[in-house]
Amino acid sequence: MIAGGKPYIIKGVCYNPVPAGQNFDFDWWSDKSKPWLADGELMRQMGVNTIRLYQSHEDLNEVRLVIRELYEKFGIRTVIGDWLGFWEYPCPFYGDKAFQDKVKKNVLEMVVALKDEPGVLFWVMGNENNYSCLGHVNPWSSDEIDKEPDAQKQKAMRAKIYYSFVNDIAKEIHKIDPNHPVALGNGELVGLEFAKDYCPDIDIVACIIYRGKTFGNLFKSLKMTYDRPVFIAEFGADAYDVFAGKEDQNMQAFFLESQWRQIYANLYNNKSGEGNCIGGSVFEWADEWWKHNPSDSEAWKAHDTEGGWTNGSYYYDIKVEGGKNMNEEWFGIVALSEQMEQGTNKRIPRKAYYVIREFWKNPYLALKKKGNKK
Amino acid sequence: MKSTRLALVLFIGTLNFTLCLSAQAEDSSVALSKKIMDSQCDASIYPVLEEAASPYFKDHKYNEYSEYINSLLKQKKDACPVLNYNAALARFNQLKYLEESQGWDEYFAQGNDYRDQIVSNLAKAIEGTPAGDTLNIRSRLLLWQFHRDQQDVFNEEALNDLIAGVTEYAKSAQDTALIKEVADKIAAYGEKGRSKEIYRIYVEKLTGADVKPEDLKQAALNFYKEGNLDLSESVFDAYIDKLLNSPEKERSVPEFLEIAALFSYKDTGNKDMPYAEKIFALIESVGGKEALGEEQIYLRAFNLEKSKDWPGAKDAYAELIERYPESKYAQRATFKLGVIYTYILRDKDGGSNYFVKLAEKDNISPEGISSLYQLGLLNQWQGESAKAKAYYSKLIEKAQGKFSETQSLTNSRLKEIEEGKPLDSKLQVFLDNSLKEENSQFNMSRASLSLNPYSANMGSEVAVNSSAISGASGCMQVELQYLWSGDLGGSSPQSAQANFNTSYKDPGTKVINLLVLVPSGTLDRALDFVDIE
Repeated sequence: MIAGGKPYIIKGVCYNPVPAGQNFDFDWWSDKSKPWLADGELMRQMGVNTIRLYQSHEDLNEVRLVIRELYEKFGIRTVIGDWLGFWEYPCPFYGDKAFQDKVKKNVLEMVVALKDEPGVLFWVMGNENNYSCLGHVNPWSSDEIDKEPDAQKQKAMRAKIYYSFVNDIAKEIHKIDPNHPVALGNGELVGLEFAKDYCPDIDIVACIIYRGKTFGNLFKSLKMTYDRPVFIAEFGADAYDVFAGKEDQNMQAFFLESQWRQIYANLYNNKSGEGNCIGGSVFEWADEWWKHNPSDSEAWKAHDTEGGWTNGSYYYDIKVEGGKNMNEEWFGIVALSEQMEQGTNKRIPRKAYYVIREFWKNPYLALKKKGNKK
Repeated sequence: MKSTRLALVLFIGTLNFTLCLSAQAEDSSVALSKKIMDSQCDASIYPVLEEAASPYFKDHKYNEYSEYINSLLKQKKDACPVLNYNAALARFNQLKYLEESQGWDEYFAQGNDYRDQIVSNLAKAIEGTPAGDTLNIRSRLLLWQFHRDQQDVFNEEALNDLIAGVTEYAKSAQDTALIKEVADKIAAYGEKGRSKEIYRIYVEKLTGADVKPEDLKQAALNFYKEGNLDLSESVFDAYIDKLLNSPEKERSVPEFLEIAALFSYKDTGNKDMPYAEKIFALIESVGGKEALGEEQIYLRAFNLEKSKDWPGAKDAYAELIERYPESKYAQRATFKLGVIYTYILRDKDGGSNYFVKLAEKDNISPEGISSLYQLGLLNQWQGESAKAKAYYSKLIEKAQGKFSETQSLTNSRLKEIEEGKPLDSKLQVFLDNSLKEENSQFNMSRASLSLNPYSANMGSEVAVNSSAISGASGCMQVELQYLWSGDLGGSSPQSAQANFNTSYKDPGTKVINLLVLVPSGTLDRALDFVDIE
């Protein structure tokens, strides 16, 4: 990938600086303490060159300011996304033309407003919206789909509608902004066999991958299914061992270093890998204390230790009763302190912060050291 | 003697020391240094070294201790393995301490130097000691722990070196405690397969030609009581080999039965159901089918049932009722066969035969009553309302006011029939998914139940837990619905509940059914038994 006329490896973090005691509704864009400034400095020291934002804000001037300040003060670029209405109540009606038009209008307004900001790297459409095509999460339908008795055919019909819609948006973005690529945010490789047919105008595949300490055969599989430059848009490990009932910074750092090693091994021109990766953005910069119980404002003030979802690839705590081993509030590479500093929660870098910093300083030496015996 | 003393010193050296560093102790360090320098790096140095290390380790003054040891090493020209080992141990503990205290600045600024020192000092300690020396093994162990903690590419190589070292050590060592200690340490790191290699060496040492079988058995029982089942099983295997190689191996069957019972499923205590089944199979091969009596066949069947080895459980229960038709377990076994055939193996006719056998008995038993209910239910599900009503009516008549929970279910079913209403929806979907051919993909592989306890008294609490593996959903937890049916006792779990607690008023085998739904339809089903005494 080329940015600013130079080869660019995305050394990114997913960014959503919600302070303890607040939830996803918190308008951090207009926070007078400007948390991105303190974070930007810590990120710069670490070597972060990109943040990933999941969604812009209704006041696009505020969004522009954040992107500009991060870029001008710290040299940090922004990958900016849109949820494509995934969290709209009661569900994302991708089969409904009016719903599609509304979502598309919002996306294009964002592109028009921000396309000339030097800090913008590219656009990401959706996140894990593809899982809704399977009918397990945020399920949606249409009259035509409802008439189809075969569940597998129903999934294919949903996938066709969804991916065609994303491609339609990508085409429109390219017309307005020919200078920035458009990425498809996709959970795992699920549904990409449909994207191959219905998303010819997508430039980058931005995958959300939680496979534990490696990405397995991901890079090779993507070449076979949907051959695009790969941005690992979300990956990581939580820093809480719910089975042992205590924080485990070592395991988080170990997983993250292992994941970054694989990203680097698959960068362009690296003969040891597939050469189709352009970098990644680790989930996430800072802990978010609201995530385990989004509807309980009292719970946002506490750092919950109960697991929220299940992933056996994070083997160290999968034995916990019920199997919910993933602690959504503990994915930060910096922790939040209850102590305030510069108007927001003080950041406490975890071991992973330092491990990745050291890796980025000389990734090729690290790769050689890990890959070869003395 | 040398090995024993060294083991003692080094064991203490790995602990957090409890003495306080005081000015007086600092003064005495000069005297200690002199003692160390005057020593020949033999056993006499160990207690002195221990005394010297204690105050530093207690206060996490690893840098100062390292400087101290390094100054001694310089004077000894590095030719003192135990000093090298202690230098490495200090850095190893220091890295651990920095991780625990999150001293990341020092950890990342100096960590690589410390790691290099650990590797270099341990290499010298290993090179400077013969293969059969205790310090040689401890150095290899520490080196492997270091690489294992680092999760680096040398981990496997270091482990192989350690195992090779222990193998060599075992050839001449009289003291087996170190071998077990190494195996325990490897097991504690989760390397079960590799720890078994060391346990095997340990067992071989224990089972030398002169060891008595009864001592072996006692050792195995002790490890069982400690909860070290891997080691217990290894020693029991050696004990079994000894018995099998004895001239009267048939006489060993009672011993094997005892071992099988020890590891069989029980609600509390140590158990290893596959190992128990392995011993049951061995008993059968040594003594034939007759070697297992009524109690043992039931135990085997129950063990297989709790392992969810349904075909195995089915065969064992069938053998029980064939060989011991009058067994006190016969009715329970017959009822379970009915349920296993019907709902798990999807053989409704095969299962109904067992229910009919019980239903036709003159005596009134919990299983007979439950069988009448099952026959009524299966007929009701098939739309045979008259037949269903006949079974339900017979149940009411035979129950004579007892078995209130089953009667209550029966009254609900009868009411449905009399009012021309459909079968309860939760039961209906469970039966549809369990019995209809087109739903054979719901084979209980993505949903399961576990109960605690599996054998309970009337009125006591039973915890019912479910687990389900839903399809791909990324970081989003799929919203699951749990449709509970069957014998739910005093509880009425809602569809959002993955778990619930209940209790039962009446004795007998209770059947708990679960159907798990995802937003797009059925995920899978599950079924389990609880025996109420």
